[in-house]
Amino acid sequence: MASDSSPARFNNTPSSPDDSAFSSPIGDTISSPAAGTSRRNKRGRGRSAATPPNNHPRFAGSESTPTPLHHGGRPPTPSSTSEGAPSSEAGDDMDEAAPTFVWGTNISVQEVKSAIQMFLKNFRDAQSQGAEIYEDGKYMKAIHRVLEIEGEWLDVDAHDVFDYNPELYGKMVRYPLEVLAIFDIVLMDMVSQINPLFEKHVQVRIFNLKGSTTMRNLNPSDIEKMVSLKGMVIRCSAIIPEIREATFRCLVCGYFSDPIVVDRGRISEPTLCLKQECQAKNSMTLVHNRCRFADKQIVRLQETPDEIPEGGTPHTVSLLMHDKLVDAGKPGDRVEVTGIYRAMSVRLGPTQRTVKSLFKTYIDCLHIKKTDKSRMVAEDAMEIDSSTQKHDEDVEFDEAKLSKLPDIYDRLTRSLAPNIWELDDVKRGLLCQLFGGNALKLPSGASFRGDINILLVGDPGTSKSQLLQYIHKLSPRGIYTSGRGSSAVGLTAYVSRDPETKETVLESGALVLSDRGICCIDEFDKMSENARSMLHEVMEQQTVSIAKAGIIATLNARTSVLACANPIGSRYNPRLSVIDNIHLPPTLLSRFDLIYLILDKADEQTDKHLARHIVSLHFEDPELAQQDVLDIATLTAYLSYARNHINPQLSDEAAEELTRGYVEMRRRGNFPGSSKKVITATPRQIESLIRISEALARIRFSETVEKHDVTEAFRLLEVAMQQSATDHATGTIDMDLITTGVSASERMRRENLVISTRNIIMEKLQLGGPSMRLLEILEELKKQSSAFEVHLHDLRNAIATLQTEGVVAVHGDNVKRV
Amino acid sequence: MVGPMYDCLANPLGAIRLTFEKAVGSGCEPSAFDGKDWGALDVFREFLVDQGNLSQVPVLNSETLKWVQPNTLVRFRGMVQDMLGNEFYAGAYKDGSGWRTNKFGDDSQQPIDSSPDVRVWERRLLYCVPVPGLNTWAESEAASEATVTSMDLTSQQRDKRQRMDAESMDYEVCPGSNIVLEDSPSAKRMREDGHPSLSVQLSDLKPEGPCSSTMMRPEVGDSPSCLVKVYDTRESELKLNDIFEFVGVFTIESEPVPADDGDDIDLTTGFRNDLVHLQANKVPCLHCIVHRKLAVSDFLRSSPIIEQSKHVVMNTRESLLRHLTMLLGNDGVAANYMLLHLLSKIHARVDNVAVGKLSLNLTCLSKEALSVFGVQLCNALRNLLPFTDSIPLTVNYLNTACLGPKKDYQRNRLIGGTLQLAEGSHLTIDETQLETGTLNSVGIENARLLKDLVELQKVEYDFTYYKMEMAADVQLLVLSEGKSNILPADIVLPVRPSDVSRPEVVSAEALGAWRWYLATMRTLSHTIESEIQEVVEKDLVAARQADRRIGSKEFSSLLTMGRLMSLSFGETTLSLEHWEMVKELEKLRKERIN
Repeated sequence: MASDSSPARFNNTPSSPDDSAFSSPIGDTISSPAAGTSRRNKRGRGRSAATPPNNHPRFAGSESTPTPLHHGGRPPTPSSTSEGAPSSEAGDDMDEAAPTFVWGTNISVQEVKSAIQMFLKNFRDAQSQGAEIYEDGKYMKAIHRVLEIEGEWLDVDAHDVFDYNPELYGKMVRYPLEVLAIFDIVLMDMVSQINPLFEKHVQVRIFNLKGSTTMRNLNPSDIEKMVSLKGMVIRCSAIIPEIREATFRCLVCGYFSDPIVVDRGRISEPTLCLKQECQAKNSMTLVHNRCRFADKQIVRLQETPDEIPEGGTPHTVSLLMHDKLVDAGKPGDRVEVTGIYRAMSVRLGPTQRTVKSLFKTYIDCLHIKKTDKSRMVAEDAMEIDSSTQKHDEDVEFDEAKLSKLPDIYDRLTRSLAPNIWELDDVKRGLLCQLFGGNALKLPSGASFRGDINILLVGDPGTSKSQLLQYIHKLSPRGIYTSGRGSSAVGLTAYVSRDPETKETVLESGALVLSDRGICCIDEFDKMSENARSMLHEVMEQQTVSIAKAGIIATLNARTSVLACANPIGSRYNPRLSVIDNIHLPPTLLSRFDLIYLILDKADEQTDKHLARHIVSLHFEDPELAQQDVLDIATLTAYLSYARNHINPQLSDEAAEELTRGYVEMRRRGNFPGSSKKVITATPRQIESLIRISEALARIRFSETVEKHDVTEAFRLLEVAMQQSATDHATGTIDMDLITTGVSASERMRRENLVISTRNIIMEKLQLGGPSMRLLEILEELKKQSSAFEVHLHDLRNAIATLQTEGVVAVHGDNVKRV
Repeated sequence: MVGPMYDCLANPLGAIRLTFEKAVGSGCEPSAFDGKDWGALDVFREFLVDQGNLSQVPVLNSETLKWVQPNTLVRFRGMVQDMLGNEFYAGAYKDGSGWRTNKFGDDSQQPIDSSPDVRVWERRLLYCVPVPGLNTWAESEAASEATVTSMDLTSQQRDKRQRMDAESMDYEVCPGSNIVLEDSPSAKRMREDGHPSLSVQLSDLKPEGPCSSTMMRPEVGDSPSCLVKVYDTRESELKLNDIFEFVGVFTIESEPVPADDGDDIDLTTGFRNDLVHLQANKVPCLHCIVHRKLAVSDFLRSSPIIEQSKHVVMNTRESLLRHLTMLLGNDGVAANYMLLHLLSKIHARVDNVAVGKLSLNLTCLSKEALSVFGVQLCNALRNLLPFTDSIPLTVNYLNTACLGPKKDYQRNRLIGGTLQLAEGSHLTIDETQLETGTLNSVGIENARLLKDLVELQKVEYDFTYYKMEMAADVQLLVLSEGKSNILPADIVLPVRPSDVSRPEVVSAEALGAWRWYLATMRTLSHTIESEIQEVVEKDLVAARQADRRIGSKEFSSLLTMGRLMSLSFGETTLSLEHWEMVKELEKLRKERIN
């Protein structure tokens, strides 16, 4: 840009660099001060500063006042860019020809300017470097795009600035008001070069600073510096229209004054009509319609819970938002803000010129980013969370190292709920659940879930709930509910009527909310039948379908379910099957990949362990115990990295092993020389196995599922099945126990009973003859078959079967042959 | 010696200014004092501690508030109830040719032509309230005597004062004991009762004590809350719910913050929150120069007379146990448990387990029985412990009370709930008044908060957008007819009162000794020898083998009891004898339950 325009430009901005910073470029392009109407002072950032006019010199906003005469270019103004001002002030002792410096610093305006120009023109992404050397730089492209869409700002990644010119970055952070002013000027110069007719004022928005601070670390030395911090929006003020230009009309003659621009937060109302002929005194009145206003909003930001130290309450800070940033964040949003930290003194009274010795602090917001990725503002395409990417790279390094450890699997197992000892296989299963398998969607539309569902059944006091709590804390997302307190709709989704609009709206329940996470359900057995039945769909199809009140919808619920249940009668009865023990429908039970029985065996060794653990808890320094485990933070980082980046595939070898193992498992059901066929594995198990082995590969950060993963998966499944699906009558694994609730041997026994009962009835009873009492039949049966015990209960079942066959009729306790 | 140069008491700001000017005069740049002290603290420390003048500093309470002059030195004892963040102020500025400082003061006379020579410093704002549930005796003692250990009182004075305190205590014990405990926390009534007795004492005191102490002797009443501005401290030093004694410059912010005039409106609508809500006129402000964290023992008279000899401890234990036994209708077992309960203190937290808590649920208390010794018990506890509170657990109370602290964003303040208690508080929950009824959502939430407090010793603070769990250390005593279902206490014990006796009049010496005993013993550290550890482990395993219902929770309370039992004898290691005592106690308790 023409160099001669620069001093003139700076003439506009002497004492309030921040005000002028954002408004001056326009003023520059339009050379005449009278053309103030077209000056689009939309950028209001600096405005706020102009409000308390008298306190801090740098706030003395002579915003876009064209003449430098009456603004306070006082000698000590720390930030005024005093160069080139045709100085009427004492302090402007700078020679016009000398290089201009930002006051009080060694920053040369020209240098910064050229640095910024170079940066905007020449910066290229690391990826694109070399390959597209003839193409425009990243920001040239961005500028073109801004022009095309008639945008009003250009997002500049501070990391890029740092990469290109660390010195410039340093200056920008330390003297943001001045450097950003120059930045804006350079940008406007470039814009007008490209398209001289472009009318809008394009501003620079810096984001993604290299270092971000926390709210409680803000201190006086941060004032006037560029800072970036995270927090949660807690309150937004109403939008405040802030006057920028005022137009007055004479009540006597109707003469309209020229727009008067806000000067240091004040509008100087003309005391007499400017029209030569009129000159009426005190006749000027404000014409609201002809004034120009800008949006302003004050937002309170509060610390997020993770930044609050123990024994502290959250800190808050005020943000000042302008123009486009207004309403960018709503209460409850987690945001990352880049802005300039400012302090402003408070006047004693509105009419007094003395100020209190206190300062109010706030952040002049430059850029706001919602940290919740899923809700990221779509229009900010450039913000694809490069900060977290950068972060990931560091973490990745650590984690890659971790994943190379030979004992990573065991180490992770140990780190999982370290204060719960034993239960190693359960923990391994839970680990697999946390890492999860790959979800698969076939082109045909069929989909296979990758989430692993686990059920823990066990005696009270076996720390099931603690495990659940722990997993809940660890899992990326998830909801913790208790069975008794959950209703069907509370788990899935419900329709409610919005109190304001009277429209029906869909509210998500726990399962939908824990999409892509783990839904922990405690006291699963105490859940109402109704609520439980809702889980069928979720656990296999991974969706929730609703049809109610005019809303028919299918919602995603790709969640792993971790449930725990107490057996009926509070203690597990090893004589009964899982189904009988926990009274869950087999259809639901079969949807759990792993079912663990956590039984409280009267084992002295475990008791000793427990006793020692608790004694040490009471008498030793808790810090000393437990080394060699990963802390929760590392674990979570490891977990989320693996979940996001590792997608293991089955290797051929593993697939073969899988097939072989499955066939083997099926074959175990066939007893040579026996007619009974026990189902030891079902297709559901093979899916489970795939999922588990994928999860195991993920734990190692391996992209392929190896053979030993599959072997381990078989082992895990077997351990779980052995506990839950073992038929106590025969000691073999029987999937029928889970899928139907009745083992094959039991079914055989029942059939035998029916046959022998029929035989007795055929023998003893005549058609239409006298009836026989049930107890008598029982006696007969016992006489005949001494091999197995017969209970009245079983007999009743058998008789009932015969009744449906139409062989007998039953009246109370009497059986009659028909 | 700088002593006589400054009048620290009446003109602390002058002293501060002088030291500052001296420091600047000696060639230091004011910027060197960013976040640092220039020697003013030494002056005050010398004045308060070395010269023992702390007792001369008036205590801020509703009475003294009326006459304390702004910009004089006062002290305030209170709990940090809320933190209002940091405040930036013009710490030092150039006035004409010389530097002046604003530290420890609210000098609003800053000239408008604020030069760039302003050092912006920061200070922390803490909102402090009187310790919740602070009992009259602790309050009065806090006010009447200085607890700084180096304080050099002549023994003569001390004796007199003690005698005086003793008499006032006699008064306190008797009248309260006949009053039936009702819904309202009866602390207030206690105060009313305390009043006349104390004012009687006042006349006695006047001729004897040093003249300054007469005016410090407060009319016991509600102390005001106070906005404390703390300078140059690390954040970790001051925590929420900690009890501190602050000594500093007293000011009252004079002007209400106006909100008119065009531009100010926009700003104040957003920024108003910080100060306006405090209604500056109402809340006194203290610029803290020296602060000190207080433990429970600081609320007692420092008692060098009571040597920590084994003999004294044993005697005190005996007499206290007797007293408790009498209170509980001659139920020795209950008295033993009560003693352990009163000594409990959380000494570690592992994950979700608060180690060291021993909440007690006394059952078999009907409403009638409670009216007899429930009240006695409450009064006795009030006399033994510095901070006590009680909650009448009725459906109506649960549905309406505000138990958990909640952040009010309109006022930008943390509204303290009943459960925002200082460390080491004692809370009695009277469940006997609970009748059938329906809990609304507030009631359910409150019940959950109570349950969490009993189980985890944590209180959830509601910040609307998220909740934060704050660790608490509260001794919980539940009185109920049957085993409390809402509040799962560590120890459930049916009381078997055999004889209801009139409350004895307790001598003040004994009370003093008991208070000292309870406050001191609970802070002792504790270890276990490896042999005993073996025995304990074996016993636990055996117990578990015998009864599978015994789990980690029971183990924990057993061990806690073991620890407390030996602490009650003033021992720092667990001995076999005490362990046996605990087992015996548990056996007796089990028999009662079955």
